[in-house]
Amino acid sequence: MSNLWLLTPFVSIAVFGLLVAPVGLIGRGKSPIGVAGYAGLAGLVIAMVSTIWLGFRGGPSVSFGGFEVDLFTYFFTGVLVLVSLFVAISSFDYMKGDPNTAPYFGLLLLSTLGMIVLAASMDLILLYVGWELMSVPTYALTAIRKKDPNSNEAAMKFFVLSALSSALIVYAISLTFGVTGSTNLVAIASSLRTIGSDTRSFALIAIVLFVAGFGVKMAVVPFHMWIPDAFEGAPTTVTALLASGAKMAAFAAAFRVFIVGIWAINVDFYSTFAIVAIATMTLGNVAALMQKSFTRLLAYSSIAQAGYVLIALATPTTTTMSPLGLAGGLFQVLNYSIVKTGAFIAAAAVSTKLAVNTLDSFNGLGRRMPQTAFNITIFFLALAGVPPLNGFFSKVMLFTGAVYSPFSWGGYLAVTALINSGFSMSYYGWIIKRMYFDDPADSSKIYEPKAYTSVMWIATVLVFIIGIYPDPWIRLVQGLAGSLVGLRNA
Amino acid sequence: MAIPTLLLGKKRTGIAKIIGIGTTVVVFLISIVIVALFQYGSPGFQFTDTASWASTFGLDYIVGIDGISLPLLIIATFLCLLAAAGSRDLISLREPEYYALFLLFETGIIGVFTSLNLILFYVFWEVVLIPMFFFIGIWGGPRRKYASLKFLIFTYAGSAIMLFGFVAVYAWTGATGSPSFDYTVLITRTVSLAMPLQVVASLATFVGFAVKLPIFPLHTWLPDAHVEAPAPVSVLLAGLLLKMGGYGLIRYNLLMFPAADKFLWPAYTAIGLITMIYGASVAFVAQDLKRMIAMTSVNHMGYVLLGTFTLGSLGVSAAVFQMFAHGLAVGMLFLMSGYIHEHTGTRNINELRGLRGKMPTTTALLIFGSMAAMAVPGFANFISEYQIIQGALSVTYLYGLAILAPALTVGYFLWMLRRVAMTPPIGPKNELSTRPLLILTAFLVPLLVFGVYPLPLLASAIRPTVDHALSVLFPGGS
Repeated sequence: MSNLWLLTPFVSIAVFGLLVAPVGLIGRGKSPIGVAGYAGLAGLVIAMVSTIWLGFRGGPSVSFGGFEVDLFTYFFTGVLVLVSLFVAISSFDYMKGDPNTAPYFGLLLLSTLGMIVLAASMDLILLYVGWELMSVPTYALTAIRKKDPNSNEAAMKFFVLSALSSALIVYAISLTFGVTGSTNLVAIASSLRTIGSDTRSFALIAIVLFVAGFGVKMAVVPFHMWIPDAFEGAPTTVTALLASGAKMAAFAAAFRVFIVGIWAINVDFYSTFAIVAIATMTLGNVAALMQKSFTRLLAYSSIAQAGYVLIALATPTTTTMSPLGLAGGLFQVLNYSIVKTGAFIAAAAVSTKLAVNTLDSFNGLGRRMPQTAFNITIFFLALAGVPPLNGFFSKVMLFTGAVYSPFSWGGYLAVTALINSGFSMSYYGWIIKRMYFDDPADSSKIYEPKAYTSVMWIATVLVFIIGIYPDPWIRLVQGLAGSLVGLRNA
Repeated sequence: MAIPTLLLGKKRTGIAKIIGIGTTVVVFLISIVIVALFQYGSPGFQFTDTASWASTFGLDYIVGIDGISLPLLIIATFLCLLAAAGSRDLISLREPEYYALFLLFETGIIGVFTSLNLILFYVFWEVVLIPMFFFIGIWGGPRRKYASLKFLIFTYAGSAIMLFGFVAVYAWTGATGSPSFDYTVLITRTVSLAMPLQVVASLATFVGFAVKLPIFPLHTWLPDAHVEAPAPVSVLLAGLLLKMGGYGLIRYNLLMFPAADKFLWPAYTAIGLITMIYGASVAFVAQDLKRMIAMTSVNHMGYVLLGTFTLGSLGVSAAVFQMFAHGLAVGMLFLMSGYIHEHTGTRNINELRGLRGKMPTTTALLIFGSMAAMAVPGFANFISEYQIIQGALSVTYLYGLAILAPALTVGYFLWMLRRVAMTPPIGPKNELSTRPLLILTAFLVPLLVFGVYPLPLLASAIRPTVDHALSVLFPGGS
């Protein structure tokens, strides 16, 4: 097949992911990180470059079985590889001297591949393969510090709940197959349109199971319990991958399944998502205010952010059938991934240098670690949705989409989301206050490793670029949303 | 210009100062040119400039000014210039960051008064917020941390609700043509919006602007923020930040949802009355000179609210003029309180007894400034307050109550002067140098000029725009 070269980014990640572990075993020498790190980085860079190249090249979407290579896939590949790159670069300092760097980078790449497969799958079986390929390496990554009981506890908790979500999804897939006789999303949609009343209830159960299964990974209320513990216990760079990569991949899968497949059945799952969205963002924001540790605060803030993205599933299209909410959701995925990864990398920098991550240790950080503090400020303002940073525009699109939706509750959803967004400023502002206005207990300056600061600066620059001139990005996500909705008629 | 200031200033603090103040001078000169070129008497937008920004989402960069924004634009550049000049003496800590944030603030404030796209307006609105948070938090007084966080949360929550009003208008007017955030497009569409939707949008934007203005139950951030902020920043806060609320109320509430406001105005004006009288009463008991001036602002912004929602041309244009005059008067008083604090070490009104002995010229200026704030005839404040009350009375005689507010204002200012200025002088002399005195005097010039002869601004710039806008919105009178 002549189209195989379209798969370059995915193959590159797979090949390097498999190679990294054995390669790392041979040539370690005195280097604190080993060949594995560089090999992993090379794989990700190749994937990134080829993704951007292929994404801009355009061209019709090509399907390899259920593996759909379209703009949506390239978009998510770009986002996920970017997250993975950030994690890999910062790991050069974070994993320094660790005996398990080779498996670490190998698992990082394989997990990223799983996320990409998840985003690309138009077939439920492939979706499940991607789901497991994403999840299994992250269990090991969470527990990579074998001697650290927190890391092990986090991995255990994460594993149990994640395994449960996998089971739910398998069950949902089998029910869907039983009802529709197909695992292809387009075929499922056309079958669901004419579903009989006898099988309808099974389809409903399948929908509920999908929501719950994806919900665990998307970290929405009431499936969010594992998040704070796992995020706090896992190595912080892995947390960045879980919070941005795994979560956004789950959203990608949910977008595919619900927007392309399940929409056809005449069930109001939109209001379910709206209720879950409201519960998620409210709980996340309120709980974040009460946290004493920085990673837990970030964990709850990421739960709240998941609530905003859910608006895209609750109100994907406007009254005029333009997919504004969906576009806003995709834009939010991009912005959130950049900002949240940056924030967790900053947390990693602080926790390695200070050995604690209580909020008190952030007092006077503006003087002790000026670069980190400045970047955290930008990330937090972006998360709070302060213009002209990137988070603002995606939020405006989401909220406008909610008001503009054909549902009568759209306005309430938007009001709740906006009040939440205003409320979230209280804890973001509180941290900024600590960093710049409070006096530190120990005001000595701390060295900031380049591995962290380079990632943070790249993220900050992206925050500004997207925020100040969002037009090309808005066009991109609107095109994506349009093509995703267009798949319904394929 | 903010970024080079920061980068250059890292090397030498002197450069930051020069660029910071220099830029405000240049911007002020540009605004003078605009004043000179402005076509007086024409009601529409002038100097409009459009650029594509995010047009796929109805976002475009559109700026322009009309008779309502012109006075506010002048005062913005003028106060920024004077406040930057005043910062030379009053700010000595982390100067590069200070001047960088200062210019960011000025960018935001000019953007707020000129942008004609709802989202662009919101962007600039928030751009103002962040520097202010740092101004109060880093350069502020002893309770700065509390004050800065309170300020941030209050105003940010307010803006969030305001943003809801904006996106709702975008979505609800989308039915009649392609949805847009363009102000000039929207004002033609909101008229045909269903009444309940208009009321909701009007309320949402009202809350956002009310926090900034500030209005009685939402004002509690103001005394803290104003008192804790360094004096030049208090000038910006009271002189400009509050005006954003007033400007927003006129442009994005009154002119966008006239029908809803025709229904809601009794409630709005009643809140305005309460704010006026409440602000004045609290100012009476303030012991801190700066706190007293801060409460003056609450008091005077009540006039703006009252004037705006008389829905009459007289009241609305007087409200704009009031913002202009109040910004100057209160800006002068705040900067003066900063200088007095620096020279005497206290702002407590009772401890300032006998100031005449220490700072005779400053005391004289304090008397002038207070006269302006009291709205003594001859100062611009008199014209605006008189017209607001006149406008209110023409709606219903119930607003005779509004007379209480100026009476109280005169009362507390005279009492303050009685304690500070009319007491036997206590030496030794410790007068301000010439430059600060010149800066303070500069505030008085426009106050007196427009107080004696307000026509150029009031009759040829503000009135035509307001008259025109209102005649379109309320054909056949209000």
